[in-house]
Amino acid sequence: MEKRGVAAPKAEGAIRSKRKRTGGRIETLSIADAVFTLTQQRVYALLFGQPNRRFFVTELIDLACMGRGAVQRELAKLATAGLVTPSRVGNRVYYQANRDSPIFEDLCAIVRKTIGIERVVENALKPLTDKLSLAAIHGSVANRTDTAASDIDLLLVSDDLTLESVYSALEPAEKLLGRQIHPILYKSQEYRHRRLDQTGFLAHVLESPKIVIMGSTDDA
Amino acid sequence: MTHEQLDNLVNEGKLKKGAVAEQGISNLISSGEAWLKDAKNEQLSEASRFDLACNALHALSLAALQIAGYRPDRNRYVVFRSLECTLGISNKKRRILGNAHRIRNLVQYEGGAEITGELINATIRIAEEISLLLAKKREKRQRF
Repeated sequence: MEKRGVAAPKAEGAIRSKRKRTGGRIETLSIADAVFTLTQQRVYALLFGQPNRRFFVTELIDLACMGRGAVQRELAKLATAGLVTPSRVGNRVYYQANRDSPIFEDLCAIVRKTIGIERVVENALKPLTDKLSLAAIHGSVANRTDTAASDIDLLLVSDDLTLESVYSALEPAEKLLGRQIHPILYKSQEYRHRRLDQTGFLAHVLESPKIVIMGSTDDA
Repeated sequence: MTHEQLDNLVNEGKLKKGAVAEQGISNLISSGEAWLKDAKNEQLSEASRFDLACNALHALSLAALQIAGYRPDRNRYVVFRSLECTLGISNKKRRILGNAHRIRNLVQYEGGAEITGELINATIRIAEEISLLLAKKREKRQRF
């Protein structure tokens, strides 16, 4: 599996969204839509996008915003195939991605590239693209040591955005992921200045694993 | 405005109910205003400005809570949580304040956290909004 700490390949954006023709109309079709049903996207994004986290069924239904029956059918299939492991706590059953399944790593990689945390955050930031010179996830998600309680640390560089507009844009992503996102927002001059301080916070973040969603750490 | 959520915080042991002296509220507001004014002084270091802005936020938010007839029970963060009920501050802004409070604690107790110019500016902007809402609320109280 690919090592994290490298930026998602630039070409990915180009292949993510292909056009298909249907009766004269042109619709866009994402890779996720081609490979997974909507219920699968929502359920897989949670289970294989956050593989260290275990979810109660009701939690999955709430976070996925899908019908109980649809989610339960998906869970039953995944459990029967051994891709997720159900466990019982009292009367409640929770589900977690099964690390011992032969395609665990592959499935997590596919989810990460198509519908996982990176994509959810990227989609949430899309309306701000013109104003952002860098967006990168750092911290435990980038280190792949995150748990259910971990926040998603986000590094942003923009000369035009306010924290209020960033929090507004990220709100739907937080709901979808069931996790809080903590953005740190630099102005570009501030970013360039602070990264020179070798013992500073920013230099440390830039040396650590990160997932670049937009822009480049060198040109921000 | 419903105080149901504040009563829930009383049940959780995070708030106490009870009348507070007007003088105490006035003192909190004047300290808050003074800190807020100093936080805007760009001659000061960013660390000091951020600390002042956080102090201002806390004092003003606490004043709003006391006006509503509540006070925190050994908990600093609860005053920010209560801002939706006390002054109608939106979730997004309370998140910014919660994050500012977290960073303030990291700076004070662990020494490591990043204070950016925009974090200071956003904290000041929201403190100013709280200050305005508080002034309106007091004016309304004094009229009745």
